[in-house]
Amino acid sequence: MSTKTITFGPSQLALEEPMYFRVETEGEIVVGLDVLAGQVHRGMEHLVMKRNLYQNITLLERLCSLCSNSHPSTFCTAVEEVAGIIIPARAEYLRAIADEIKRISSHLFNCAVIAHITGRGPIFKQAMEVREIMQDTKEAIYGNRMDLAANCIGGVRYDLTPESAGFLSKQMERMKTPLDALLRIYATDPAIRERSEGVGVLSRRNAVDCAVVGPVARASGIDYDVRKKSPYGAYDRLSFTTSVEQSGDVRARIMVRLREAREAVSIIGQCLADMPAGPAWADTLPEIPAGEAIAKSEAPRGELIYYLITDGTDMPVRLKWRVPSYMNWDALKVMVRGERIADIPLIVNSIDPCISCTDR
Amino acid sequence: MIEVLENIAAELNRWTGQEVAVTWRLDRKGVATGWCRLREAACILPAAQAVASMEGRLSMVTAYLPEVAKRTGAREIAYHFDLDGTTLTISIQLPPEGAQVPSLTTIFRNADWNEREFMELYDIQVTGHPDPRRLFLDESIEPAAFERLIPYSTFSNGASSTALWERVIADNARKEAP
Amino acid sequence: MKPAHKHPLSPVLRLYRINAGSCNGCDVELAVTASVSRFDVGSLGCSYTENPADAHVVLITGPLTARVREKVLRCYAEVPEPKITILVGICPISGGVFRDSYAVSGPVDRYLPVDVNVPGCPPRPQAILAGIAEAAALWRAGRGMAPASPEAVTSAPQDPGVTGTTGVRGRIRFNAAACVGCRMCEHVCAGGAIRFCEEDAGLRFTLWHNSCAFCGLCSHYCPTKALTATGEWQMAHRQEEKYRLVEQGVIPLVPCTGCGDPMLPVAAELLRIGYRGVSRETDRLKTLCTECRQKQSIGGLRR
Repeated sequence: MSTKTITFGPSQLALEEPMYFRVETEGEIVVGLDVLAGQVHRGMEHLVMKRNLYQNITLLERLCSLCSNSHPSTFCTAVEEVAGIIIPARAEYLRAIADEIKRISSHLFNCAVIAHITGRGPIFKQAMEVREIMQDTKEAIYGNRMDLAANCIGGVRYDLTPESAGFLSKQMERMKTPLDALLRIYATDPAIRERSEGVGVLSRRNAVDCAVVGPVARASGIDYDVRKKSPYGAYDRLSFTTSVEQSGDVRARIMVRLREAREAVSIIGQCLADMPAGPAWADTLPEIPAGEAIAKSEAPRGELIYYLITDGTDMPVRLKWRVPSYMNWDALKVMVRGERIADIPLIVNSIDPCISCTDR
Repeated sequence: MIEVLENIAAELNRWTGQEVAVTWRLDRKGVATGWCRLREAACILPAAQAVASMEGRLSMVTAYLPEVAKRTGAREIAYHFDLDGTTLTISIQLPPEGAQVPSLTTIFRNADWNEREFMELYDIQVTGHPDPRRLFLDESIEPAAFERLIPYSTFSNGASSTALWERVIADNARKEAP
Repeated sequence: MKPAHKHPLSPVLRLYRINAGSCNGCDVELAVTASVSRFDVGSLGCSYTENPADAHVVLITGPLTARVREKVLRCYAEVPEPKITILVGICPISGGVFRDSYAVSGPVDRYLPVDVNVPGCPPRPQAILAGIAEAAALWRAGRGMAPASPEAVTSAPQDPGVTGTTGVRGRIRFNAAACVGCRMCEHVCAGGAIRFCEEDAGLRFTLWHNSCAFCGLCSHYCPTKALTATGEWQMAHRQEEKYRLVEQGVIPLVPCTGCGDPMLPVAAELLRIGYRGVSRETDRLKTLCTECRQKQSIGGLRR
């Protein structure tokens, strides 16, 4: 048995984040895996307690650029819960739109990278080009392609005019056919199928033991989606199906994400159709009393949970969050056991790892 | 829903052998959060078993050292569990010095990383942890990093901001000078 | 689109990216410049390489965490001289929103020489390409080559300009006449990009773009809308300009019409928010300092 250290990043362009793994092998087969985290540890848990609640809206958005909107939106929800603020109905729908737009972009990026790893360059490029429709949409509506700056305490900082709502609707229409095409391609392309079917399996039993959430859990047969289990914002009024697969392999995770992206398009359509009139935020500088609250949301990678304790000032006493990727690293140990070393990059990317989220 | 919540409280009592007072909050969407405190820190183990028996999951662990701890003599750990969408937060208190708490890894596998994380940030020993190594903090940073509640400028390197701003002000003053 | 090696800017300039602990925003956008045709670096005569020994230009993202510092410096050293170094995003330039954390070692120019900075959080691909074009020009100049002809350098695709949207969130503009010195902007700025300095002439506002996350919280919370985001995103600059990339303004002090002491004037915008209409009385009271105003309206100083 031999041990070697495999590095991801910092210089492989498509695998954009640095993470280190210590792999134990017998020949070409993996028998053990250790994850060496902390490359992207920026001390954020400490920083947020040295910043006020307003600064934290922007700071938390930069935990991770792919899940970026979920952090400020869940954080603001926790503050609103402590302060008893009821955000306007319009703000609930606008938050949902921002979250679903990010979900589509994040899932497409992950699927693109998976195609790149399986050597399917043309599919990688195709997925990235389709994703550009979302990127243009974000830049037009929010002013930035990655960090939306959409949230504030009491609601959202952006609004949709009839023109921009029309533009958003047309962009979503443009996404339907390409997404359906990508679903077909990833399901049928022989190279992708060969590399992804039966590879990196996480059984339902192991998925429960590892307490995973999000697409990784749903690909292993666990039908848990925070938007359904603990509805928040507009989700108690939106109609959508959650994507669940049973095989728990790399292929199942790809399929769950692509179907969720497609479903997100229709959720955005519903939001536009049902958008209530009214203000986009309630009261610019609300009073935040002493208290504590929990807020959860379904980020692109799964359940995100925030815990906030306040003391009546605008600095948090304690602010802690647990990202969905957190449990995936341990589940990875189960997924790679018995697999070939050559498949490790693919299996790692199939959990849609978010190292910046995990390391903070 | 009320029955479900009452059942959770009853199971907690059964497993810990104590009367655990749970405060329930229902938000506008009908999502429940439960809050309770255990009298003894070691009771977190049977409390976790209660949650596991109800097919709950460990969601997150928050250790913290409130400012008042120096006065009250108690630091806290809040364990957040998920019970099919309901979040139950069970808090325990520990002394500021020599704090010890049993590992939950025998019940919840994912307690592993949660416990490794708060061990490197706070002066809390987790007994029975299978792999108590550092997780995120670089070796160059001293252990129990959050323990040192020293003024902002010493712990976090405020020197960086000061030095940079001195340059910004100076460079732009020169620009305006005749 | 011309393949890189046939480009008039040839020989091909090879780019090497180092992630120094970034939130992955800038890295995702760099991946876009390697895969999306309208932003492809090939149009600049460049291509990405994963072999540092092959590279001419180094791109660095992230605030340089304590954990990766040594590895980053080692990777950097493997790129042979002469090399051009570009910092992408505000994190490597100033630490960005993570500055002053115990876990962050930056800014990057404390450890290695930097040539070009591309501020943004994250900057759009067009801004990154402009930074790479700047680096390419530096490299050509350094090797005694003629500068590239204007047509050879890609121009960014025209912004479609969608009606009803505010467009790209770019450089912040300050209107001193509307500022009341409440400092809410400084209070809510996560990047520590705003400073107020009291000077003899007045209150000076400084916003340093290399620490600005372009999030717009400052303009959202400004009561008189003295701060607005423009669509100006083209801010790539040479290292020498780093500290001069600022937005400044001074609110000049005016003498109180009662006692003559210098005071900050009350901006008309503040009155517009505070009162339905401005009477002659309000107009007069606003020229008095707090003490004189109290004497006038309630007959004495409030203890």
